[in-house]
Amino acid sequence: MTRDHHQRVIWTIGGGKGGSGKSFITTNIGICLSKLGARVILIDADLGGANLHTFLGILPPGPSLSDFIKKRVSHLKDVLIHTGVPNLQLLTGAQDLLNAADAKSAQKRKLLRSIKSLESDYILVDLGGGNALSVLDFFLMSDGGILVVTPEPTSIENTYRFLKSAFYRRLRQAVSSFSAKSLIDEAMDRKNEAGIRTPYELLREVRRINEEDALKMVEEAATFHPNLILNQVRSKKDIEIGFSIRSACQKYFGIQLHYLGYIVYDQDVGNSIRKRRPLVLENYRSKAAQCVSEIASRLANSHRMPSGN
Amino acid sequence: MKRIEEQTHYEILEVSPDADLKEIQRAYDHARETFHADSLAIYSLFSEEEMRKIQAAIEEAYRVLMDEALRKSYNQSHSHLIERSSREKQAEKSVKSSEIKSSLSFTDLSIEVGEITYRGRSLKQIRERLGIDLKAISAETKINIKTLELIEEEDLEHLPAMVYLKGFLKAYARALNLDAQKLIDGYFQLFKEKGKK
Repeated sequence: MTRDHHQRVIWTIGGGKGGSGKSFITTNIGICLSKLGARVILIDADLGGANLHTFLGILPPGPSLSDFIKKRVSHLKDVLIHTGVPNLQLLTGAQDLLNAADAKSAQKRKLLRSIKSLESDYILVDLGGGNALSVLDFFLMSDGGILVVTPEPTSIENTYRFLKSAFYRRLRQAVSSFSAKSLIDEAMDRKNEAGIRTPYELLREVRRINEEDALKMVEEAATFHPNLILNQVRSKKDIEIGFSIRSACQKYFGIQLHYLGYIVYDQDVGNSIRKRRPLVLENYRSKAAQCVSEIASRLANSHRMPSGN
Repeated sequence: MKRIEEQTHYEILEVSPDADLKEIQRAYDHARETFHADSLAIYSLFSEEEMRKIQAAIEEAYRVLMDEALRKSYNQSHSHLIERSSREKQAEKSVKSSEIKSSLSFTDLSIEVGEITYRGRSLKQIRERLGIDLKAISAETKINIKTLELIEEEDLEHLPAMVYLKGFLKAYARALNLDAQKLIDGYFQLFKEKGKK
């Protein structure tokens, strides 16, 4: 591996709802990657409750991102926390910026640039279950967005809602005319007056007013490849839901979802969280840990492929 | 980004234009399970009307693609559309099969009985639709024809006990590229029903 030449890869973990396992997955994938010899930084940006430190079994952190934003420290790397796991560092407090109503997109882009300049091979951002615009932006600005879903209607419904918001946000950024942008805004509202219910209907309406923007939308759909992890899987039938979700997204959004893998339901997960010891360190042989490590190695391989995100 | 009405039969079933009958059968089973009214994966996404449209498109695609003559004339009349999507799909397909393989590799999970299970008779139907001779299955699986016939006829009295039968069922299902577990589940049900009598 030639560290000097390859770029840092940023993965954002978001969508779904609280309790689907995003923080657990972020922490344990991070550890797996660090065990493969890569330098990894975890970023806690969960608006609902930032507690990656608890998953790692370390005390509530002292320095945080706000120390950097408020210029109490001059380098972002000065607020990184050592986790006790070799090669693995933690950055907390990103949720404050995402939460701030006045956070300008320029400010967020600047933060992303500072994050990208950190000395690391992989950066994993736990976005939590939120749906706020700044969360969507972060999800879209990364090299790869990862959705975590459990095989339950509530989780699937929330994931589709998040995916739709993120997709429309991406389309909105791509089109240039004001009329297309406002049409997309309108389509975000389920009961919109234009009667736009699906992405295709949106595309049809945009095509009516601006052919060029419609083409841009088609291009965006073709290059949008979010990733999916199915968590708390209990049967083979559950595993297949991942493939079905992919087919459903293809039919509904016209996008190609990438099914990264699944994690089986495993009592050892709950035990490890209660002990505040990451599963892949505490019980590497458990089924869930094996699933996580398989996903981590797939992530490690994916960005080397030319077709990867 | 294409509406259902604009997608080719191949796109509807998510198969490449050169997919063989086994692949089409498998894709059809997957599509039917995905776009079933009780399917979890479509929850909150589609309206009833959209679902009916998709289901009809899936059935139509299956009907045409499984019939050699119909498929041929469809390919001719839609050649401009199929040509273009052919290359894109090819790339996707190679990703897809490796994905399925590696992600289903190591876990040995307990099984819930799915919506669709196969039994002997449905196996026979699928085999005949695929135009595969029982001899070919026998050669591939190294199971003698008599046993394969018993499996298709669901002749439980002359078939070996489930413990031994399982291996045969697995091999046969694999030869047709079907989910072996669904056949085993179907046979388990058969044994259960018979036990009740």
